[in-house]
Amino acid sequence: MGLISTERELYGEIQLTLKAIFEPESIAVIGASATPGKWGYTILKNMLGNGFPGPVYPVNPKATDILEQTCYPSVLDIPGPVDLAVIVVPISHALAVTEECGKKGVKGIIMVTAGFSEVGGEGKQLEEQLMGIVDRYGIRLIGPNTLGVVNAHAGMNASIISKLPAKGGISFITQSGTLGLALADWTMEMGIGLNIVVSTGNKANVDDVDLLEYLVDDKQTDVIAMYIEGIDHGREFMELAKGISKPILAVKAGRTRSGSKAVFSHTGSLAGSDDVYSAAFKQAGIIRIENIDDLFDSALALSVQPAPVGNRVGIISNGGGASIIASDTCERLGLTIPGLEPGTRASIKELVPKFASYSNPVDTAGLASYETYNGIVKHMLRDPNIDALIVIYVHTVMWDSRIPANAIVDIHRDRCIKPVITCWLGGAGTEAGIDILKTGGLPNYPVPERAVKALASLVKHHGFLEKVKE
Amino acid sequence: MNGNEERLWKLLSDWNIPVLPTAAVSSPGAAVEVAKTLGHPVVMKLLSPDITHKSDVGGVILDLGSDKEVKDAYHGMMKSVKQHLPEARIEGVVLQKMAEPGLEVIVGAKLDPQFGHVIMFGLGGIFVEICRDVSFRVTPVDREMAREMVLEIKGSPIIEGTRGREPADLEAIIDVITVLSSMLEKNPDITEIDINPLIVYSRGSVAVDARMLTK
Repeated sequence: MGLISTERELYGEIQLTLKAIFEPESIAVIGASATPGKWGYTILKNMLGNGFPGPVYPVNPKATDILEQTCYPSVLDIPGPVDLAVIVVPISHALAVTEECGKKGVKGIIMVTAGFSEVGGEGKQLEEQLMGIVDRYGIRLIGPNTLGVVNAHAGMNASIISKLPAKGGISFITQSGTLGLALADWTMEMGIGLNIVVSTGNKANVDDVDLLEYLVDDKQTDVIAMYIEGIDHGREFMELAKGISKPILAVKAGRTRSGSKAVFSHTGSLAGSDDVYSAAFKQAGIIRIENIDDLFDSALALSVQPAPVGNRVGIISNGGGASIIASDTCERLGLTIPGLEPGTRASIKELVPKFASYSNPVDTAGLASYETYNGIVKHMLRDPNIDALIVIYVHTVMWDSRIPANAIVDIHRDRCIKPVITCWLGGAGTEAGIDILKTGGLPNYPVPERAVKALASLVKHHGFLEKVKE
Repeated sequence: MNGNEERLWKLLSDWNIPVLPTAAVSSPGAAVEVAKTLGHPVVMKLLSPDITHKSDVGGVILDLGSDKEVKDAYHGMMKSVKQHLPEARIEGVVLQKMAEPGLEVIVGAKLDPQFGHVIMFGLGGIFVEICRDVSFRVTPVDREMAREMVLEIKGSPIIEGTRGREPADLEAIIDVITVLSSMLEKNPDITEIDINPLIVYSRGSVAVDARMLTK
């Protein structure tokens, strides 16, 4: 334990310099280009167009100005201080410009330039030399071979993502550059808010442990989502994650078993690295997610809803089919559908037609009026047998999707101890209702299975808070 | 016994993991005497640094119930092994008291480059080999974690007792898992270890065979 506390003390300093990467006051884009299509152009354009308040300096010895900004031949020629340098130069220049950053007093670097250890051979030596330079100057570096960093709340897009994501509580650490960026793009389409997105690249200097340390104290981050191919300091990572009460979700690539190695012991042949990751994640209270689409579904629910104290789910729907699918999925994922208190049933009975189901799952037999949804949800939330609610609305032309949405958003505002997950089903005609849900902080999913999976992650997180988290 | 094997059995006994009484001998006469001390019936296993899969070459004979059976088995084993693998070095045989039948489980561990020692638990035989019905935990593993490990495998109802079979001693399995965890912490050079099978009874357990790899 002695070792860990010393490292924690060190993190105090690291924090300051990671701040220079994620919350810089001034940025230089070294290798900025005036040619559309080049990364040096894209990154500068992204930096300038998203409301970053501080100065952004293009650096390129061959240009005088780019995108109407004065261009400097070297970072050393910039008149003011530079916190962060985004480096997008050819590999042959990478070490020289890094050295200049050191002399300038730059605190953080995002090294987009590739051709280091990921290509092996000479690249490995170059990376060692690069680390020699940054260590000498005490610079913290993301990458090399990264596709950049985004901080939505700071209006900073130091990446090749086309536009800044909506502001939200999810921060995303991704080891795969392209996949990570595609996912970030996808969250924008889904309207999911993000805070920090970081493509880790080769993790030569800043690694997963550093990033977790930073994000745990970051006030804008409520949920940490990770796409992991491999972790270098597994034990340290586990110990750190155990102490973090913010939800951590991870997709780990490479689920296939190795199985090919020579067999000495059964344990040796059966304990593939994937099994070890699963065990380690569970022990550290990290929610392992199978598929990348589920990653953001779960992250969204965790970022806007509280974790339920148990796994007993109430389901409300205006159509039987959808609630059957929801119940089946609940059962498959270890969530239960308990009976309701007699009082709750009696109250619901008065709100629905005679032939409707007033036990759990509640089926309104088509009704989707304000009074029905508002009343049923209120009664179910009060029922001591229920820990969480899934509210389904199946759209038909007879109803306005906004009415049931308003009915539950109005309740949700004054009682938020039990999580409520919604599923407005039916595509065209549901958008207006979904907007109301979103604004009201209710996570909505287009199909019941996805709603239930997201709820299952909330339940899992509560279990970790009770058992694992220190 | 080779160095590792000797160290392994010593470790198991130092850490109070119950093992079947075992002795190595290098002549048929000694085999007869030792078998008598251990108590019939006994199992005879070939002792050779060159042969890993002993049963493939006739190097494992079970259920020897008398002096004559022990003596004949010794001669028969030497002959069979020489036929199969004439170059293999033979140091003698290991004799072990036959274990009473019980529930066979496997408790093992391996050193993972990222996470350190990882402990595995599973039911023996086809459950582990074909169904891969096993659970894992990164060390250190405490009693509560060990209990979860045992109960999370699909075949755990077998441990709790089915079809008139008495429940196996869950606490005894937990003992072995947690002791193995502590043992690994003190012996970081162990890269792979299997206690297979560990036979579990309604009270207690016994390690029948084990193997170990070190750095």
